[in-house]
Amino acid sequence: MSDYESGYPEYMKESLEKVKQTRADRVGKRYAPMTADERQKVLEGYHPDWKMDQKRELKIGHNKGLLMPHEVVDQLEAHSIVDTSKIDLEKIDYDVDIMIIGAGGAGLSAAIIANDNGIDPDKILIVQKLRLGDANSKMSQGGIQAADHPRDSPVIHYLDIIGGGHYFNDPELVEAMVKDGPDVIKWHEELGVKYDKLEDGTMQLAPGGGTSRRRMHSCKDYTGMEITRVLVDEVINREISYIEFTSAVEFLKDDKGQVGGALLYDLDSDEYKVARAKSTILATGGFGRLHIQGFETTNHYGATGDGIVMAYRAGAELVHLDSTQFHPTGSAYPEQIVGQLCTEKLRARGAQPVNVDGELFVYPLETRDVEASALIRECYGKKKGITTPSGMIGVWLDTPLIDIINGEGTIEREFAAMMRNYHKFGIDIRKEPMLVFPTLHYQNGGVHINVKAETKVPGLYAAGEICGGVHGKNRLMGNSQLDLYVFGRRAGKAAAERAETAEVGKLSLSHVDDYERLLEESGVETDRKSPMLLPEYRGKKTIEHQLKLL
Amino acid sequence: MTRYTYYPGCTLKTTAKNFEDSTLASSEVLDIELVEPERWNCCGTVHALATDDVMHHLAPIRNMIRVEELKEQDMVDNKKMVTLCAMCYNTLKRANEVFKSDRDKKKKIHDTMYREDIQYSGNVEIVHLLEVLREGGWDEVKSAVKKPLTGLKVAPYYGCLLLRPRGIGIDDTDNPTIMENLIEALGAEVVDFSHKQKCCGSYHTVHMKEAVADLSYNILKQAEDAGANILVTACPLCEYNLGPRQTQIRKQYPSFDSIPVVYFTQLMALAFGLDEEATAFEANKPDPMPLLTEMGLMEKNKNGSNK
Amino acid sequence: MEATNEMVTIYVMGKKYEVPGDLTIMKAMEYAGHQFRRGSGCRGGYCGACATLYRTKGSYKLEGALACQKIVEDGMYIAQIPFNPAEKITYNINELRPDANTILEYYPEVSRCLSCNTCTKACPQDIMVMDYVQTALRGDIAKTAELSFDCISCGLCAVRCPAEIVPYNVATLARRLNAKYIDGPSQHVLDRVKEVEEEIYDEDIDKLMKASKEELAELYNNREVDLSE
Repeated sequence: MSDYESGYPEYMKESLEKVKQTRADRVGKRYAPMTADERQKVLEGYHPDWKMDQKRELKIGHNKGLLMPHEVVDQLEAHSIVDTSKIDLEKIDYDVDIMIIGAGGAGLSAAIIANDNGIDPDKILIVQKLRLGDANSKMSQGGIQAADHPRDSPVIHYLDIIGGGHYFNDPELVEAMVKDGPDVIKWHEELGVKYDKLEDGTMQLAPGGGTSRRRMHSCKDYTGMEITRVLVDEVINREISYIEFTSAVEFLKDDKGQVGGALLYDLDSDEYKVARAKSTILATGGFGRLHIQGFETTNHYGATGDGIVMAYRAGAELVHLDSTQFHPTGSAYPEQIVGQLCTEKLRARGAQPVNVDGELFVYPLETRDVEASALIRECYGKKKGITTPSGMIGVWLDTPLIDIINGEGTIEREFAAMMRNYHKFGIDIRKEPMLVFPTLHYQNGGVHINVKAETKVPGLYAAGEICGGVHGKNRLMGNSQLDLYVFGRRAGKAAAERAETAEVGKLSLSHVDDYERLLEESGVETDRKSPMLLPEYRGKKTIEHQLKLL
Repeated sequence: MTRYTYYPGCTLKTTAKNFEDSTLASSEVLDIELVEPERWNCCGTVHALATDDVMHHLAPIRNMIRVEELKEQDMVDNKKMVTLCAMCYNTLKRANEVFKSDRDKKKKIHDTMYREDIQYSGNVEIVHLLEVLREGGWDEVKSAVKKPLTGLKVAPYYGCLLLRPRGIGIDDTDNPTIMENLIEALGAEVVDFSHKQKCCGSYHTVHMKEAVADLSYNILKQAEDAGANILVTACPLCEYNLGPRQTQIRKQYPSFDSIPVVYFTQLMALAFGLDEEATAFEANKPDPMPLLTEMGLMEKNKNGSNK
Repeated sequence: MEATNEMVTIYVMGKKYEVPGDLTIMKAMEYAGHQFRRGSGCRGGYCGACATLYRTKGSYKLEGALACQKIVEDGMYIAQIPFNPAEKITYNINELRPDANTILEYYPEVSRCLSCNTCTKACPQDIMVMDYVQTALRGDIAKTAELSFDCISCGLCAVRCPAEIVPYNVATLARRLNAKYIDGPSQHVLDRVKEVEEEIYDEDIDKLMKASKEELAELYNNREVDLSE
């Protein structure tokens, strides 16, 4: 035991000692959850969403006036990267029934269900900016919610979701989520996804932030990866066609106002390709790589918000983009992994947020927005955080409690990913706490859909993180995973039905030209171009960190 | 109870599960505890024939490290590795001899396996279960017999790899007696026959099954003509070529009379009075149970199936 | 932890660069001016996109790592392997059974395994790759699934295997067979699906859908929280 050298710098030793000393008392200690008023207070005081100077109103288009973070508005108040005068839409490179843009959990599910609903594999085209399966879906660690515990029900799940979302959620979308939930789990099991189970074969279910029952199904702390790799295997087995390292950049519309396909950009050959499709499903995920308010992010490399831009230019409705989710526990140390996700499941299994003096200062399982705000308050308001060598401030997440409460070996078994991650950088999370701070995590809002995953624009469907309305203004842990498969499947089904009878007219990019005109007329002066496709990290940008906090 | 490291080999876990089941059950009766290491790998069957081939020795040697680990953890009482499959036995033992005698190869193997926790010392002894039985004494085996296999005429089939090459084989190549001794200890009658060390055709069964059928036919016919009503073997591949392959034999030799082929440990389990899970005859083709029932060595169930 | 604030020299595909010594290989390459198209994915150790081979100064050993997790060292020679050429055998999971020979039927090259352990040495996830190839060889599907669980299909094992096995494809088949057939579905999930189909929750959900924000808030703030197992 004494062989282990702390993975933290010498000056943090004092605080670590305090954490160790208070640990025994904190085991199983119950910190009261906040009242509704207390929650409102901490949100208004400390949640990044409430910093109004970090947002502005969109000046163009049918959703003019909507409040969004600067970084998102910057993408919308921008010229298209496409010079439409140079594009020849007569030459069609891909002609399919269903085109799916994005191959994360939602896109992959849509493809499989579309195939189940009678569309031939070679009539489905998955377009993926990076590799098949590369998405935020894969990085999800802790779990997926579904109400199948004997003392749980979809009714209770409904209330948890809508309360967590601050009542902004669309009731029909929440209904779809809670009713489809158990069926999604069943579908996964049929495909061969391995969920953690107890000795008797029942699901091992954990609580999550804001859940009133145990509802989180997990696959160790590799939940997203396990589900994604099974879906990828299934897509390949069915020989559904897909192209990688090809990004959609603008939709194509026809003379009937339908979306009839998309203009694609091949990242290997630097060429544009034209894809025509009877139904198009947008499943491009989140916007973490826009680094809202300078935050580091949990998101993958390609999460640059391309879908918002394309969909808006094509006429889709955007909702709730003024609400951004910051995951309470992103890694704050070491420098190399700042911003990376430390799953909520850690807290579900007993880890506690603890300040520099070793004190538990908040109920560990508040909803994410409340929890994140409480951590920010502790660091910047109460000044009880720990400063890292690079200037970041964070609090401890006391992980050794997990083995103490659940038995030795729990972390090794259930948090293999986290343990390995930290071990590579010299920290054994069984012996020492993690250092954490909120990190940019999830796009709560987005393209508005109905229960059939239809957007306002005929021919255009959307599913997954790109959508808005499902989670209201705050998503609960495990509901994004659920969202992917619920609406991914619904999109696949609806798109397949439509593809049987839809006809696509003459394709054009005139809506992009129209948008360019709106941009000029709005008076916004800018060189900006969008969609971004890949974030810019070259040179010194790599080591720049700016946290525009408080 | 003496604890030995038990090396199953790949087929004993799959197509020759009956060999393993009967082995574990009958060994227990003789106070032999067979401890399977948690990690072991395929022995690489067969022994690498090119003299400069070091790669193919890694697989066998790695298993010997497993034995030494078990001994270090006091999970076994000695450094013997007990094998059942004749091919595994042969491959492992020959690799062991190469390792012990060739200093250059020893060093290369150590260097390549630097990720193992210990370096192989060369002190593991590869033994076949038959050798363990012989060492314990045939009287021990006899005293464990509850239902002597009276009247059963058993032809002992050694095949190639149990007896060759000299120095590796478990008994004299030309005049072995080890299986015969076992058969007698179990109360059965030994039927000596000319083809007991002749090759069954081995892995040629994959792409030259007609040739294998020829060789196996000769072996089985000689055993039958010598008066045997059952054959025993100690190798899953021999068992396959002599047993299930009889379907092919009959295609080429329509007058061929089928004769059951079983593992020696299955006869041991039967003689020790163990149940059908231990004798595990269900997996054998042709089915030995009609013969054994008819001879009163097995009981029929009330519903007509065998017990 | 070997990170340093000093600048170090690295060679990316042979080209020499001076980079801060506390960067991961991925960030060091970006610092040096490289924009990833291939070779960057989740940037957090989950997706296997950034599989990298490298050698350090003075060492002949060829090591494997994930670029997003490995800190650079002075004198490091780096090459990325963003793709492993491997045919992915297709099958219909509904038609397969977890029999002892199923895996060998689809991936017969598994029997070529020499137990040389090169795959395990290459794995950045500390997986005992050789061990799971061996359990696959002898038809122990459950054990193969268990040992290979943390695999992110980065491809480093396959690139280095002298027997030309693609372990992660073998593991994927084993894991799906194990979960679908050996574990099987949980009954309470199937029961709940049936209940939903029978519409027994519809009325209560309908009420919630029609409730006002105030009514919902009342229900939500006073709801029973039961987190027992």
